[in-house]
Amino acid sequence: MSDPKDFVAGMDSNARKSPTRVVFVTRRTSAQVKVSDEDQIQTYPEVLFRAVVAVEVLAIALVLVSLLFNAPLEGIADPSHTPNPAKAPWYFLGLQEMLHYFPPVVAGVLVPTLVVIALIVIPYFNINVEAEGLFLKDRNRRLLIFYVASAVVCLFLLFFDVIVALVPTLIVAGLMVLAAQSSSQSSSPFRRYLAAKPLSFWIMTWFLFELAVLTAVGTFFRGPGWSWVLPWRT
Amino acid sequence: MSLAKTITNYFEELRGTRVWRSVFRSGTGSSTLHRALAVQQNVFLHLFSTKVRTRMLSFSATWYLGTLTFGTFLILVSTGIPLMFYYHPSVPQAYADTKDLQFVVSSGSFLRNLHRWSAHAMVFLVFAHMFKVFYRGAYRPPREFNWVIGVILLLITLLLSYTGYLLPWDQLAFWAITVGSNIASAVPVLGNKVHFLMLGGNMVNANALLRFYVLHCMILPLVAMLFVAIHFWRIRKDGGLYAHQSEPRTVAAQSVAAAAKGVQ
Amino acid sequence: MSQEKKSAPPEAGKEFDRRAFFAKLGLGSLSIAAAGTAAFAYQFLSPNVLFEPSPIVNAGKPENYAADSVTLDVNSGIYLVHAQEGFFALSAVCTHLGCLTAWKPELGIIACPCHGSKFNRDGQKIEGPAPKPLPWLQTWVSDEGDLMVDRSITIRPMQFVRV
Repeated sequence: MSDPKDFVAGMDSNARKSPTRVVFVTRRTSAQVKVSDEDQIQTYPEVLFRAVVAVEVLAIALVLVSLLFNAPLEGIADPSHTPNPAKAPWYFLGLQEMLHYFPPVVAGVLVPTLVVIALIVIPYFNINVEAEGLFLKDRNRRLLIFYVASAVVCLFLLFFDVIVALVPTLIVAGLMVLAAQSSSQSSSPFRRYLAAKPLSFWIMTWFLFELAVLTAVGTFFRGPGWSWVLPWRT
Repeated sequence: MSLAKTITNYFEELRGTRVWRSVFRSGTGSSTLHRALAVQQNVFLHLFSTKVRTRMLSFSATWYLGTLTFGTFLILVSTGIPLMFYYHPSVPQAYADTKDLQFVVSSGSFLRNLHRWSAHAMVFLVFAHMFKVFYRGAYRPPREFNWVIGVILLLITLLLSYTGYLLPWDQLAFWAITVGSNIASAVPVLGNKVHFLMLGGNMVNANALLRFYVLHCMILPLVAMLFVAIHFWRIRKDGGLYAHQSEPRTVAAQSVAAAAKGVQ
Repeated sequence: MSQEKKSAPPEAGKEFDRRAFFAKLGLGSLSIAAAGTAAFAYQFLSPNVLFEPSPIVNAGKPENYAADSVTLDVNSGIYLVHAQEGFFALSAVCTHLGCLTAWKPELGIIACPCHGSKFNRDGQKIEGPAPKPLPWLQTWVSDEGDLMVDRSITIRPMQFVRV
């Protein structure tokens, strides 16, 4: 048996019926669910009816769209003729935009793999679990790391001329600088809000922002030959 | 009104028969017991617990995004299967069949449109669900593994969308998949092998269509359902939906008050 | 979601309360939706276009058929018979279980290889497990003078096409 410190001793409640028993419960072996004494409601009908209504509303919206708008269908597949531009489905357009700047190994394999790995490990890092404002503790050291990291990223993007990714990065970096200058005693509620945000928030927000901008650019601002077009001009 | 009464009486009698009671064992009613049994004795519903914390009902907490994502999945399955009745996964028949579905088959264009728009909606909703879960902090222990299951479900959703994209066999489909599979060949060392296996050949042709069809209609939906089941089970085992300190404690107060008084 | 108002108890037989009304309304809408879905589902599952060969067969010029001859066309599954009274066409598909029959000129009968059913030249059954005689098919002469047979239309026997 393992270290006695891992055990918690308890007593059986009905000492009359059964000989005295001592229960050993190893610590940290079950799911860490704390018993709650909150109000409870019945799954049926409360939860299920709300779920059904939500899905019904969604279904009605989708049915209306389907009755009004046709799914696209172009000419039959022709291996000898590539349309210009040949665009991926909208959720991959962010990736396709990056393919414009970086070789396929980087934009197509490396970045998506790193993104997936980064997503998976989020809950396993303590800094993400603690959720304290990034610059509230150890301010100077963290500020220094932030300046170096963001300078590296911005120079990298500048070097490869990826202006579309540089702009969101600069915006998020600017907000982080503002957060560093704020605290819970700041004047505006916005600055107080920013000051309380942890590192995980900043990284994810940067990711979301980049995703949105790259996808929007790939959808609206790219024309034949993946050239830059202004959608309101065509 | 007497006709309505007759029908009601008929159903009352029907519900008392042996045959009915052998199928529906717990009977209907609005007592707490009956409502709990309705969940617990039902093979489809007993994944849920019979009672949940009131706070889990809060719309502003989750915007019900997970439920909505699952809803689009159900719509996709129920429109996708009828579409299979008129679709031959061969070249060039696939394109002709897609056109048939759009213009000749009764309700064909409706089913195809609904399938397509629900697919886009599902990809959007699954991303939105992920971001909402993240920003709430609902990934924290003990829910870490469920987050990982969620990321896997995100990948499965994207793969389902990608494999389905090829099936109409039009220019949009062919070239999108050609570009995508060429990216796959950029994987170092294994790239070309992966490309070859994925397409069943060196270029996007009949073999690729058939493989993508099998992936899209059989393998990926089964895998998705498997992971969805695990995802829902983990929610329950991790103590129900996450509720942050800042989120309101009582939701739909009237329901709680009614429950407290003894459910009507 | 429901208010705590107490609704007046329904009078016997005449009114019913709000809950019953909404229950009926809900059930009614569901039934209409179900009926509509069933109708649309049936229409969806019945193909509007079939990719099958046409039932109408062009049997060629009447001169090609010798008098008193029985000619089997295996591709379309019909016998073109040039009898004394005129032309007629029989289905060559055995009425037992669908095998293709054969004309035996030496015996003057149509025989099915599968279970031994035998028919005479007019399609009537002589012996065997077949339940019905071979059906006569709609035959006519086209504007170009060709013999035409519609395999989807059966006619009463002993109706000949005179040329």
